[in-house]
Amino acid sequence: MPQSFDLRVRREREGCGLAAGRVLLRDVTVRYGRRVALEAVSGEFASGSLTAVVGANGAGKSTLLAAIAGAVPLAGGVVNCAARQRLAYLPQLAAIDRDYPLTVWELITLGGWREFGVFRSPGTALRARAATAAETVGLTGRLRRPIGEISVGELQRALFARLILQDAAVILLDEPFAAVDEQSISVLLDQVTRWHQEGRTAIAVLHDLDLVRARFPSTLVLARRCLAWGTTQAALPAMAV
Amino acid sequence: MSVHSLIVEPFESLAFMRAALVACLALALANGAIGTLLVLRRMSLDGDVLGHAVMPGAAVGFLYAGPSPEWLSLGGLASGLVVAALAGLITSERARRDAGLVAFYLVALSLGVVLVAWRGSNVDVMRVLFGTVLAIDQRALLQIATVSTVIVLAIAALYRPLAVGAFDPAFLRAVGKRAPYGAVFPTLVVLALVASFQAFGTLMAVGPVLLPAAAARCWGLGVAGSMALATGFGLAASVAGLLVSYHGNVPSGPAIVLAAGLLFGVSLVATSSWRRIAPNIGGDA
Repeated sequence: MPQSFDLRVRREREGCGLAAGRVLLRDVTVRYGRRVALEAVSGEFASGSLTAVVGANGAGKSTLLAAIAGAVPLAGGVVNCAARQRLAYLPQLAAIDRDYPLTVWELITLGGWREFGVFRSPGTALRARAATAAETVGLTGRLRRPIGEISVGELQRALFARLILQDAAVILLDEPFAAVDEQSISVLLDQVTRWHQEGRTAIAVLHDLDLVRARFPSTLVLARRCLAWGTTQAALPAMAV
Repeated sequence: MSVHSLIVEPFESLAFMRAALVACLALALANGAIGTLLVLRRMSLDGDVLGHAVMPGAAVGFLYAGPSPEWLSLGGLASGLVVAALAGLITSERARRDAGLVAFYLVALSLGVVLVAWRGSNVDVMRVLFGTVLAIDQRALLQIATVSTVIVLAIAALYRPLAVGAFDPAFLRAVGKRAPYGAVFPTLVVLALVASFQAFGTLMAVGPVLLPAAAARCWGLGVAGSMALATGFGLAASVAGLLVSYHGNVPSGPAIVLAAGLLFGVSLVATSSWRRIAPNIGGDA
């Protein structure tokens, strides 16, 4: 039996154990038409790690998250994520249609989709968890509002509450603090830290390097290729080059 | 003229008016939900294009079997689905998308007219372009009722993924475990348009789907509420249009679409002027 097969089996077995939240990239390449958005990125997000993805505009940061989430087809390479079924992906806010007639409460409870599925309505236990999640992000008084009538910061808080309900092992956040007010950023950052403490793998695309330095232990610097990947202290200087 | 002779008698005395009424009511039940989802997804233009995409296939069905409702529908369904799949493929290249859709629209329409005119008469061409609400026979009626039932049941069963996919497709992809929800909605739209095509022809098939939904959307209700109101508007427009067509001796398909258009106009004006007045009332309080 070829060795690569053995390796794959072993990886899948590991997936059931401690390394469940690990995300492994091997030569990940993504193209949009002829344009190469991401070229041969390899490396590993350890299970339970908290990583900031930084880089200039067009460096492929969002593409990397989309590739991990399986939202864009790979032109080459492999994304190995044993927890694919327990992966939560929060795209940039612009991807959400805010004119859609939905209340904050409805948006948050959608996070329990895996429990109530396509047909059933959310049960009592889930509704209680949704209420707790809403309280955690400070939205308790806003639950009946349509999502079109709350601020950008509040919408992002609601989406974080939905993420809390999703109970994911791997959490991907694409520019979670863009256009969000200071107070909301601090609420959201606390939640990211809480996820990290709970042992979940979190990967966030960010622009604010001071914030990365202060709150994110690991950093990946992208410029279509991987420029640096490691502890924030070691990797971040690559941004200046 | 009594109320009875104005409203009830046309349907009481004429079998073709009754058939038209039942067909329009069956269509309105399916169209309320489909149209609302189309409007919420901002896919009105796509709906219009798919309405014309039905045409070449229906024309091929016509060439093969003459004006038989089954063959017109099967052909229309086939070409509608092919174009829906092609439109899905070009979605990734956003910049060229609207031009691509309009190209489909024009080519499909012209191809259909050429094919029908090749073997058929001018009457046949008018028939596929504008439909024949008042010439719906029992076979066509059964077909419309069946398709509407399938659509309503499918939307009832898949309501949550369809509603969520409309505002946050990335989330649906993440939780949907690769279920092909992306293909379900276009298929339902094509089915609705094929059913509508029988009655309203390719040029107006999308009218009874979109206009009541667009009117209902003005009122700022939730998804389910919008669907219910759109269905109600569709039913009202059907009855009103048929009566106007009977008493005023005007073509019935356009009369129904006009009635729905009137509802849209009234909804738009009423809700936007309310929005202008309402803040002032709030400010006084």
